[in-house]
Amino acid sequence: MGEQMALSKVDHAIINRALIAATYEMGTKLIRSAHSPIVREAQDCSAAIMNNRGEVVAQAELTAIQLGSIAQTFAPCLKLYPLDEIKAGDFFLNNDPYNGGQHIPDIFLFTPIFFASKLIGFSATVVHHIDLGGGAPGLNPEASDVHQEGLIFPPTRYHLDHDWNGGPLERFIAANVRMPEATIGDLNAQFAANAIGAKRLCTLAEKFGSDGISEAMDEMLDYSERRIRAAIKKLPSGIYHGEAALDDDGIGDEPVFIRTQVTVADEKIQVNFDGTDRQVATNINCPFSSTLAAAVACLKSVLTDPDIPFNDGVARVISIDAPYGSILNPKPPAPVRARLLSSHRVFNSVMKALAQIVPDAVIAEGFDTTTPVCLSYLDDNGYNIYLEILGGGYGAGARNDGCDGVDCPLSNCANIPIEALEMDYPFLRLETYSLRQGSGGAGAQRGGLGFERSYRILSDGVQFATYSDRFKVPAAGLLGGEAGICAETFIDRQGEIIPLASKTGRTLDAGDLLVVRTGGGGGYGPAKNK
Amino acid sequence: MRVGVEVGGTFTDLVVVGDGAIKVAKVPSTPLQPDIGVMDALAAADLNLLDIEEMVHGSTVATNAVLERKGGRVGVIVTTGTGDIFALQRHDRTAIYDLHYRKPAPVIARSDICEINERLAADGSIIQALDEARLDRVIGAFLTSAPFDAIAVCLLHGYANPVHERCVSEAIRRYQPDIPVTLSSDVSPEFREYERASTTALAAYVQPVIAGYLSRLTDKLQAAGFKGRFSMMQSNGGRMPASSMAQNAIAALFSGPAAGVIGAMGVAARSGFKNIITLDMGGTSTDVSLISNGRPDLAPQTMIDGLPVRTPVIDIATVGAGGGSIAWADDGDLLRVGPQSAGAFPGPACYGRGGTKPTITDAHLIRGTMRSLSFVGGSIAVDHDAAAAAFAELSVHMEMSVEKLADSAIRVAEGNIVRAVQQVSTERGLDPRDFILVPFGGAGPLHAARVAEDLGIRTILIPLNAGVLSAAGLLMSDYVHYRSKTERLQLHESAIGNVKAILLALRQEAEAYMEEIGITDNLRFEYVLEMRYVGQAFELSVALGGELETLTYSAIFEAFRAAHHRVFEFSKPPQDPAEIVSYRVGIKSHAAKFPELANSDAGANDELDSINLIEGGTSLACKLAKRDQINATGITGALLIEDGTSTVYIPPGWHVLKDQAGNLIAKYHG
Repeated sequence: MGEQMALSKVDHAIINRALIAATYEMGTKLIRSAHSPIVREAQDCSAAIMNNRGEVVAQAELTAIQLGSIAQTFAPCLKLYPLDEIKAGDFFLNNDPYNGGQHIPDIFLFTPIFFASKLIGFSATVVHHIDLGGGAPGLNPEASDVHQEGLIFPPTRYHLDHDWNGGPLERFIAANVRMPEATIGDLNAQFAANAIGAKRLCTLAEKFGSDGISEAMDEMLDYSERRIRAAIKKLPSGIYHGEAALDDDGIGDEPVFIRTQVTVADEKIQVNFDGTDRQVATNINCPFSSTLAAAVACLKSVLTDPDIPFNDGVARVISIDAPYGSILNPKPPAPVRARLLSSHRVFNSVMKALAQIVPDAVIAEGFDTTTPVCLSYLDDNGYNIYLEILGGGYGAGARNDGCDGVDCPLSNCANIPIEALEMDYPFLRLETYSLRQGSGGAGAQRGGLGFERSYRILSDGVQFATYSDRFKVPAAGLLGGEAGICAETFIDRQGEIIPLASKTGRTLDAGDLLVVRTGGGGGYGPAKNK
Repeated sequence: MRVGVEVGGTFTDLVVVGDGAIKVAKVPSTPLQPDIGVMDALAAADLNLLDIEEMVHGSTVATNAVLERKGGRVGVIVTTGTGDIFALQRHDRTAIYDLHYRKPAPVIARSDICEINERLAADGSIIQALDEARLDRVIGAFLTSAPFDAIAVCLLHGYANPVHERCVSEAIRRYQPDIPVTLSSDVSPEFREYERASTTALAAYVQPVIAGYLSRLTDKLQAAGFKGRFSMMQSNGGRMPASSMAQNAIAALFSGPAAGVIGAMGVAARSGFKNIITLDMGGTSTDVSLISNGRPDLAPQTMIDGLPVRTPVIDIATVGAGGGSIAWADDGDLLRVGPQSAGAFPGPACYGRGGTKPTITDAHLIRGTMRSLSFVGGSIAVDHDAAAAAFAELSVHMEMSVEKLADSAIRVAEGNIVRAVQQVSTERGLDPRDFILVPFGGAGPLHAARVAEDLGIRTILIPLNAGVLSAAGLLMSDYVHYRSKTERLQLHESAIGNVKAILLALRQEAEAYMEEIGITDNLRFEYVLEMRYVGQAFELSVALGGELETLTYSAIFEAFRAAHHRVFEFSKPPQDPAEIVSYRVGIKSHAAKFPELANSDAGANDELDSINLIEGGTSLACKLAKRDQINATGITGALLIEDGTSTVYIPPGWHVLKDQAGNLIAKYHG
């Protein structure tokens, strides 16, 4: 505190909470007006409000991996188009993994907000789109480069008046995706949510003035910085190491290692990933934006109170670096669709480093493997693509069992209700959705349970694609806790069990039962202390 | 004579009307056995129970049963493969950075869930039929596996076809004819299995508690001579005979907050206001609700303690800002208020019951906007020094004087309330400036004017006896019953006959039900469609005006497009198709009128005492008045009005007068 402020402390408190509330409203309305089940039921999306320099000041807690990089994803747009050239009605898209984006399906949409002809901020939303073209519907497990994963929208400015609502960009997208109505519908939901964020910010500006808003936004960044500094200050200075592994790259049999050094000094934290394995030929490469988002999400989860507004004030005290050409900062055109697998191992390895200094605040490894199940079917009505994101068991903590059957730390998808799924995808029937008893690692605190979801296939020629992990390397226990049980996927074809690899694609026949079992989390502390 | 009794967390309030007069009583609640508080309130009002023609009751019994996990033991029957439904929930987390996340605790134990072999498809057709002999064996064994108080049944796609759920119900009856059985197809015939199962299980869970409570209370009332009609408030703002509530306990889940909204709507209507925002501030939270054109909005779904309940509830936004809410500084030195509350016990520091944390009530005492005399008419002794001491530490930390800090804490709490109002107004595409604010509850009228200023609202209405408005609201409520049905139908010109037929069938069911429970007078109907664009998953409520017979395609479609535009800030081109997902018919029987209140004109503008306040960051002189000193000419703020059940604060820039209906009307002049 102590700087000269035109606004009172009360005004700051009120604007702070009002901006956070506005991002939640953006998120809620995005979900409620969207078309694809991946957004409207599973909620694979996020929303934020930024200041007029493109720094995130407030965001809705939806999906950690998307939230962590919004400013980094926007920065390349601002580099191309200087602030003073931005006009009302402009909007920006970016999904380019090699230009600040994450993976192809996540389209970031940014809308400038003007009050009394003055730029006062930006609203931002990101949605996982069901299909953006590429080599296979929804998810192309065979992609050997990013171009086979779908359309790249490099950081670019467009204008609502001539590019959308029947304009060239909308027509171009609709012609190049497999479910155009869903994709355009979901993009419209993004536009609407951004408009709502703009409206709410303008209402605040009416009351506090554009200078007041800008001052309050600066204070929000300082405020989060103060809170995270206060947390870091309590940590002993030093360099701490962590390591985590993926089963394999989907081709070979060797594990892929992620190695972390966390340096705590001078109220700051530096994380680097020297010693991490080189990039691979398959889609588990992790664009740097995703690496950064994963590391920051772990630091935030471990070190701070859950209610610290997560914004770019946090970034001022945390720096992240990963070697170029490694799996955590790959060179183009490597495929990146399954980047959440590596992102979660980033999360795990940073957590293991922190476990050495704050063992009570961390948890054991969980299943931590975002597992998409993509089932698509082409008939006379066109493509119909089912995509659902499965989690598993959380790692146990010092005082709690791991959460059972829940999405992984970096993603936060709801399930698609069985009844909604069967209404929308007549080629599927869900036969079980149940917890895997005994799958959580034993310990003084037990790891969370994984679960099983099994799908009866009702039509011939249904395409299945997935990526997963922890089929071989289980979620490790912590401080004497035991590992969780591994995941597995198989087809039951009239009694014949056909085991599948963790990262694979396959054509299924009517009558097949596809069984997906996700893994349990690691236990915490020795089981004899239970 | 008619009596409304409202059991709240701290107090049990009673309002009696008869011969054009109104009388109130307030006694402490008796949470362990709430019926004792009810009898105490009747005794305190000195009523002869033989004279009571009608009694209407609202209570938190059902809510508390869920919050304290003290409902009945419920066995649940589900489709094979879905037995972990209450543990799995929806697979997402409400706090994404909380590593130690726990899901809301279910009310059903896993061992009390039984899976049966059967399967329906999404269109309700049977894929796997029930084997009745086998079902009988499974059910027989399950019923003897534990001493269940009630059974809930939720089968996949049961909303589309109740046939299997009914077979299960019959099988249960063959073994245990008396055990209450709740079917998902009756309670919430809508898709999304977790939400429906949660609703069904909660309905069965609170059933034994409500039935037991109502039967105890009825016995006591009858023993004391009560022979009148006895009804109870529902979450939807209407009432039902107590005997039928015992069968449909889930409807009572939010009866308390609903009664206040109905009361506010009733008193505002007397002064000619149909568009109001209600603000009910109590000890731990503030409830806010919006009434448009004399009709409260119903939310199709709400949550209780993290568990979804899908049954129509008056749409209320709640924030943790109440008299007991605690002021604190977070580790970034931002001043915060709530959601932690000192609750009813120990309560605010000034109550002298061991509370040491600074609360909003303490802040008012320091600031001067509450005086020791205002605490329930001076009947609670308060300790000013304890209030100041509670703020001392925070005052040093924040580098503000105790007085300034108390004032700031109140403004932060008001900021929280403003956001709750925005949730029910701006977030739904409605401009709060088109509404008046109606505060009630002990503390609502203290904050209303400043909250109104922040929202651009220029009129507030403070009801007589604002502190017991919920009890009065009970007596203003209609008998209400809703019937609903899920059936997806794309809206076409040619589908309109089908839409009418479905609504008519629901209306007939609702009429038959009302006839069965003996309510046939002054029936009115309302028709609501839950609609969306084809491809969306969440519906908007579209209320249909006028008569069923004259309903047209274009009227429905345009009403939907307008609603979509209001909420989402866009609508699609007219050629984009919309669909109806579910249908709801409400039936209402208008209750006897609440009497006009005698307008006391005692007092007039005598010389008023004056005190000094720190308010809104500045020091100012503030007059003091009793409610009956406000007349039709009125007084300009700053002014504090004490009326025995609450305190009203009228800041500078506001003028307050009493209108024909006996309500205080305050207007902002800037």
